[in-house]
Amino acid sequence: MLFEPLISPFIEFAFMRRALVGCLALSLAAPPLGVFLVLRRLSLIGDALGHAILPGVALGATLGGLSLAAMSAGGLVAGLAIVLLAGLAARGTGLREDASLAGFYLVALALGVVIVSAGSPGVDLMDLLFGAVLGVDDGALLFIASVATLTLVSLALMWRPLVVETFDPGFLRHAGGGGVAWHLMFLALVVLTLVAAFHALGTLMAVGLMMLPATGARFWSATVGGQVVAAVMMAMVASVLGLVVSFHADVPSGPAIVLAAGALWVAGLLAGPRGSLLRQRISRPHLAG
Amino acid sequence: MRRAPSPITLANVTVAYDRQPAVHHVSGTFRPGSLTAIVGPNGAGKTTLVKAITGAARVDEGRIDRGGLAPSDIAYLPQQAVLDRSFPISCLDVVLMGHWRRVGLFRRIGPTLLREAEEALEAVGLGGFGDRPIATVSAGQFQRLLFARILLEDCPVVVLDEPFTAIDAKTTADLLGVVSRWHGEGRTVIAVLHDHDLVRAHFPNTLLVAREAIAWGSTPEVLTASNALRARQMAEAWAESAAVCARAA
Amino acid sequence: MFRRRTLLASTLAAAALAAPRAACALDPRLAVASFSILADFLREIGGSILEVDSIVGPEMDAHGFQPAPTDAQKLARARFVVINGLGFEGWMPRLIRASGFRGREIVASRGIATLKAKDHGHSHGHGHGHGHGHGHSHSHGEHDPHIWQDPRRAQAMVRNIAEGLAAADQEAAEAYRTGAARYVAQLQELDAWVEAQFAAIPRARRRVVTSHDAFAYYGARYGIDFLSPQGISTSAEPSAQQIARLVQQIRRERIGAIFIEAGASPRVLEQVAAESGARIGGKLYADALSRPDGPAPTYIALIRHNTRAIVEALAG
Repeated sequence: MLFEPLISPFIEFAFMRRALVGCLALSLAAPPLGVFLVLRRLSLIGDALGHAILPGVALGATLGGLSLAAMSAGGLVAGLAIVLLAGLAARGTGLREDASLAGFYLVALALGVVIVSAGSPGVDLMDLLFGAVLGVDDGALLFIASVATLTLVSLALMWRPLVVETFDPGFLRHAGGGGVAWHLMFLALVVLTLVAAFHALGTLMAVGLMMLPATGARFWSATVGGQVVAAVMMAMVASVLGLVVSFHADVPSGPAIVLAAGALWVAGLLAGPRGSLLRQRISRPHLAG
Repeated sequence: MRRAPSPITLANVTVAYDRQPAVHHVSGTFRPGSLTAIVGPNGAGKTTLVKAITGAARVDEGRIDRGGLAPSDIAYLPQQAVLDRSFPISCLDVVLMGHWRRVGLFRRIGPTLLREAEEALEAVGLGGFGDRPIATVSAGQFQRLLFARILLEDCPVVVLDEPFTAIDAKTTADLLGVVSRWHGEGRTVIAVLHDHDLVRAHFPNTLLVAREAIAWGSTPEVLTASNALRARQMAEAWAESAAVCARAA
Repeated sequence: MFRRRTLLASTLAAAALAAPRAACALDPRLAVASFSILADFLREIGGSILEVDSIVGPEMDAHGFQPAPTDAQKLARARFVVINGLGFEGWMPRLIRASGFRGREIVASRGIATLKAKDHGHSHGHGHGHGHGHGHSHSHGEHDPHIWQDPRRAQAMVRNIAEGLAAADQEAAEAYRTGAARYVAQLQELDAWVEAQFAAIPRARRRVVTSHDAFAYYGARYGIDFLSPQGISTSAEPSAQQIARLVQQIRRERIGAIFIEAGASPRVLEQVAAESGARIGGKLYADALSRPDGPAPTYIALIRHNTRAIVEALAG
């Protein structure tokens, strides 16, 4: 009986089911990437990328018409180019990663506005490209599910070098593990996942589900693997909660989901099992050490 | 050891940042199995020299001959500040990184390698610390951890950059035991150090650097008052803008 | 010493740049409309006399429009500018000022009865107000500005424009008034035609879903309800509840048609259509004409096209 309001929206409406599947797919792929982004101090990359893909989207629209495929492809190429250039610039010179990214993304954004103005200024391309969680159709679902699968498989394969490269890049480079390549591959995955998520679910959802659970994961686990699991679970719970609240309380879905993720984050901050405010206050008998 | 150490020979090595030489015209050899301390005043270029030896920094002039060893045959412990000690990882996982050269991307870490890792932790006095997150260990314990990682790396050459700075005496003593174990195993060990008493007590060879090699040889011969004076004078004379060094090779 | 001189020089340079441009010659026959529908009216009224141009061209969106320097140049040479008013072209006053326009401004909506705006902000359902400097805010203010969608009001607009032209250009006043009268007659015919089209469809079934709130006047004139998927709230994104209610409403009242407007959360509408079984109708032209080779190159063609699309979707 208690579960009825939780389940009934999904039983009754196909658009709710699709939205749920889309969110769950994103919840599998994005939070793990988010955990690594937080560890690498790249938390704001999602927002920057949302803007940085504009020239690619604009070029895609110019060359391929207003087709979502052309624009997504363009956005993907632009995102990859910027992220790779920024990564290389940072690793190759003394420029810090965040400064490098800021430089490239601003240039890209301005370039994008110029290209857009040269084309048909009446159409807001980003509007076309960015989806909405309640508008997930089969095409978008397929896109995001495929990307999620690719991301998960890649992460599984790359897990060891990624952790080492994040913690001690000098060590990996020195031991012959190849430093920069892993970093760039990781960033490429981030771009791919974000573009797919932008397309299916819009920017707020994409970045929100990638970063919020990740920043909150530290209150639930002390290992990278544990944090990834915690982040994924938080994202999934937030997706379900957010959709249900959106349904019953007449709140826009995307923000509802992100707010649910935020609530889980705050809950962790206040009372999570590791390092939360509550945990710091209550004292337990210490171990024999 | 996976392979025996070879001599590491420096021939007129100069490493510069932006045309300012950090070290220049350094020549000499680290004999295989030697235990050498590198000392010198602050800013003498010790870290730069060590980076050049490990291959982390590019040599601008001169050559370093590692006798066939690859840079990855050298285990390198950089100065401590770089690592994020709040990273969510366990002590055991840090030590296990030492296996990288053997395990790479995919090979499973089986019970043998795990046992080696546990033994390494024991050897540095961190027995039983495997599951602890690194955020919960002290600076001294973290340094022991990094030594344990080097134990697993099993390299013929070990290079340590200021391994005992800001570390307590007990840890220093324990880790010096590990260093002498490496020396006993025939590995070449090079360490940048500040404490001359420690060098005199534990390191048979010393290289005194003050931008250039002041003296290189057995410790009692190198750590003399006159050498120390020369080093200090070199340090005071470092000019902001110098003419192009005209010294012949 | 050097620095102070540089500072002084740059201040003078900046001042020089800020100084008003040299005036360029006025073209006595150039009339510029703010968007394509008004341009069409201008052509019908005085096409033989005037050279007509528009700032926002066919198939372009006047809402998110960002004027370019060429637009300012157009205005600078124009004798007349015709705008809709009622807050439709938010960017126009600034552009007129910036261009140094010296001709006569004609407001087409003057004196025409208006409906209240549908709760500010018809949205385009994007994630979170993406600026990029496009100024995407939709609040037109109190009044719904899309008065041209009602052919009767369109007739009043045409008369306004003709009078405005005549007042400034006495020589051609007669020609303008004649042109206007002829066109108004055509519009009256159009009005009657549209009414006839809907005669066969019972009033209760004249319910259509579309995301652009541009058809209030058309709807009021011919008794058609235009429902918006974003519903009543002003949010930029719909809630699942609103979508669910809409789907239920469509199912319950058997609303036949959903019209998707390009760039207006088409995917959400597609979901609604798939879920509710409503048909997706063709494209409706709200704020702009189509290109010359398209189905709505003139205002009359636009109204006819929209009418046919709606009738077809409802009847089928």
